[in-house]
Amino acid sequence: MRRVGESFALSGRIRGKALGKDVGALRLELEPEAPPVAFALLDQFDCPLGKSHRALIEAEGKLILLAAQAGGREQPAARSGHFIADLQPGPVGEALSDLSPLRSLLALGQGRMVVRRATLLDEEEKTQARAWLRRLEPDGPGAVVTLVELQYLRGYDLAFDQLRRRLRGAAPHIELEALAESLFPGTPAYEAKPQVPLAPGEPAARAAAALIGAHIAVARQNEGGVIADIDTEFLHDYRVSLRKVRSVLSLFRGVYDAALTDELKRAFSDLMAPTGRLRDLDVYLLERDLYFDLLPATLHSGLSAMFDLFARERAAEQAKLARRFGEQAYADQIGRLQRVFAEPDALAKGPMADYPVLGYARKLIWARYHKVCKLAAEITDKTPDNEVHALRIGCKKLRYLMEFFAPLFPASQMAPLIKPLKRLQDGLGLFNDYAVQQQSLRALLATPGADLRDDAEAIARSVDALIAILHQRQLEQRARLTDSFAGFDNAELRARFAAQFHDGGETA
Amino acid sequence: MKVVACYSNKGGVGKTATAVNLSYAAAASGLRVLLCDLDPQGASGFYFRVKPSKKLKDDTFFRDEDRFAGAIRGSDFDNLDILPANMSYRDFDIFLSRMKNSQSRLKKALKAVDGDYDLILLDCPPNISALSENVFKAADRIVVPVIPTTLSERTFEQLLEFFVDHDLDRGKLLAFFSMVQGRKTLHHETMEKMRGIYSELFLATVIPFSSEIEKMGLHRAPVAAYAGGRFAARAYSMLWAEVGARF
Ligand SMILES: Nc1ncnc2c1ncn2[C@@H]1O[C@H](COP(=O)(O)OP(=O)(O)OP(=O)(O)O)[C@@H](O)[C@H]1O
Ligand SMILES: [Mg+2]
Repeated sequence: MRRVGESFALSGRIRGKALGKDVGALRLELEPEAPPVAFALLDQFDCPLGKSHRALIEAEGKLILLAAQAGGREQPAARSGHFIADLQPGPVGEALSDLSPLRSLLALGQGRMVVRRATLLDEEEKTQARAWLRRLEPDGPGAVVTLVELQYLRGYDLAFDQLRRRLRGAAPHIELEALAESLFPGTPAYEAKPQVPLAPGEPAARAAAALIGAHIAVARQNEGGVIADIDTEFLHDYRVSLRKVRSVLSLFRGVYDAALTDELKRAFSDLMAPTGRLRDLDVYLLERDLYFDLLPATLHSGLSAMFDLFARERAAEQAKLARRFGEQAYADQIGRLQRVFAEPDALAKGPMADYPVLGYARKLIWARYHKVCKLAAEITDKTPDNEVHALRIGCKKLRYLMEFFAPLFPASQMAPLIKPLKRLQDGLGLFNDYAVQQQSLRALLATPGADLRDDAEAIARSVDALIAILHQRQLEQRARLTDSFAGFDNAELRARFAAQFHDGGETA
Repeated sequence: MKVVACYSNKGGVGKTATAVNLSYAAAASGLRVLLCDLDPQGASGFYFRVKPSKKLKDDTFFRDEDRFAGAIRGSDFDNLDILPANMSYRDFDIFLSRMKNSQSRLKKALKAVDGDYDLILLDCPPNISALSENVFKAADRIVVPVIPTTLSERTFEQLLEFFVDHDLDRGKLLAFFSMVQGRKTLHHETMEKMRGIYSELFLATVIPFSSEIEKMGLHRAPVAAYAGGRFAARAYSMLWAEVGARF
């Protein structure tokens, strides 16, 4: 394997004295500092860069990407927007292609950067190893951190190792994963799927409250991004979190008093209701390119008119929701629910409230797994669509349960169970997307007043053509689903589920 | 991966200067470049301050892929690596004569680093030999510096004859005028004459005789690294643009 560079972070400022002068027969030269420049640390909201030990810096009109295992890359920072696809083609954009296309890059914080270079030279003044030291001095109360980018020059392995050792020894090491927190402390790390620790003997009602509390907190972390309209994932995550809360309430049967459960379910539905239309519009608009690809150019004018309508309605919906999220009434509404679950023992108990959560989890998962298998077994090429949808919902519930309770089971044993389920869900999801898209297109045509517009006819023609294509795709996807069923409903997997979730296990 | 040789059957015409500066220009354009110094004198390696290779001696160059790859050194410049020469390259012809498929050994040796580079430049010693036949086979393009003098005209004719006699692809040859002195009428006359005879073989770019280029030995770096804005440096990047366009 060919070696590449390396990047790491050191605490504080690196002084020449700490580095020393000679390294064996090589001379260590520390160039003078360049004048300070402004910098920003960039990442997406859920910090995929930090989590994968990378740091993205914007400074002096450049994007600089450092990776723990791969040194640095640079390209011009000028861009048409803040999504990965908006970057100019270049080495940084290329290396960021694993990031979500739906999430915007954000500045996690700003400050001043001072750059200098350290070089190891031999007696002929040939560079054998080189490092860029970028000292980051954050605005605000954070700590000074020096980012080190070690360049590997092929064939000079010894010098590379020597320079790395010198630099690493010069100051305490900071993981790139912890860089944001060191520079800009106090911004809580965002985790869309929080792992809520559960003790096996914990009463089921308490576990439910902990899960609900954690997911309300996740939803709330997204409010700011919805208000600022940074990207569509904020609203999506907000809704998914609240949907999970509702799932806990409906799936964890008997942990709370029935009337209370109904009341809480209604309260969460009320919270979600005002967000539905905006999410629908986001989904349509995200599919814009796909629709244009599906239709011939002759029908594009109709599509353009349709998406203009969507865009205008979306802007209005977004403004409305942003206003709502900023209002005291909303803060009171969600704050009250948060407080309810902060004191779980005050909630009116149901018959299963004190049941130990491990046993409860096994019961729920095993029963749900059975139900899903039964539904899956009945599906043939001729099953009506609504039964396929029922299976999709069943799978989702099973998946939620397995994720909620994951901390109670060994991860190594959960992974092989979740994998075939996820495959089935992906196939069903695609089938569902085609169905929902057709539905929403029909709904568009049925919008009151839609037929009065000048471009109504053009829109109608495009929509008809789209529906026909989507219908065809749905049929094709339906045919493909049978394979994913086979991967899911089989003796081996059944035995594994039984071993994990059913008393004494079960041999197939 | 493409291979470009800087070759002439005449000494001192600017092969090494061309190899060094073209590889710099190609690397600066974003290609991953390896400059392979085939001349036992090691002038290319000298200009990049890379010491001669100790381990890649005798026939290991052709026989030992790991040593070949292991002898490569990163230059001070991004995207540009050097394979320095070894004194034992003097005896390349002897090693080659003992090997099977002796004309394609160089091509095979370069395969060892196929995935690592987009472009390999070869700085060749000045003679027609078993090694140069290997060069003609391995190279996709052969850049030939020609000083516009009567003597060079003859050597160039000899090179073409060799290609015809050995049934080699003349289309690989890309000649250009090197060390051109604007004030010498002889230079102008020779250039005009040769362009008339070999029009399709000559590139438009001309590398002037320049004190900036002469100073390479002093700076031990490509011209663009110490005189980036100067005409000499720009001439080499134009030359690279023209060569690159011929693929
Ligand atoms: N365009 C130029 N202007 C001025 N001097 C030059 C120019 N090109 C090369 N030189 C100088 O001429 C000498 C010979 O050049 P170079 O070493 O590049 O030729 P070469 O063909 O590689 O020689 P050899 O056959 O010995 O390998 C060197 O001292 C070099 O600095
Ligand atoms: Mg030479």
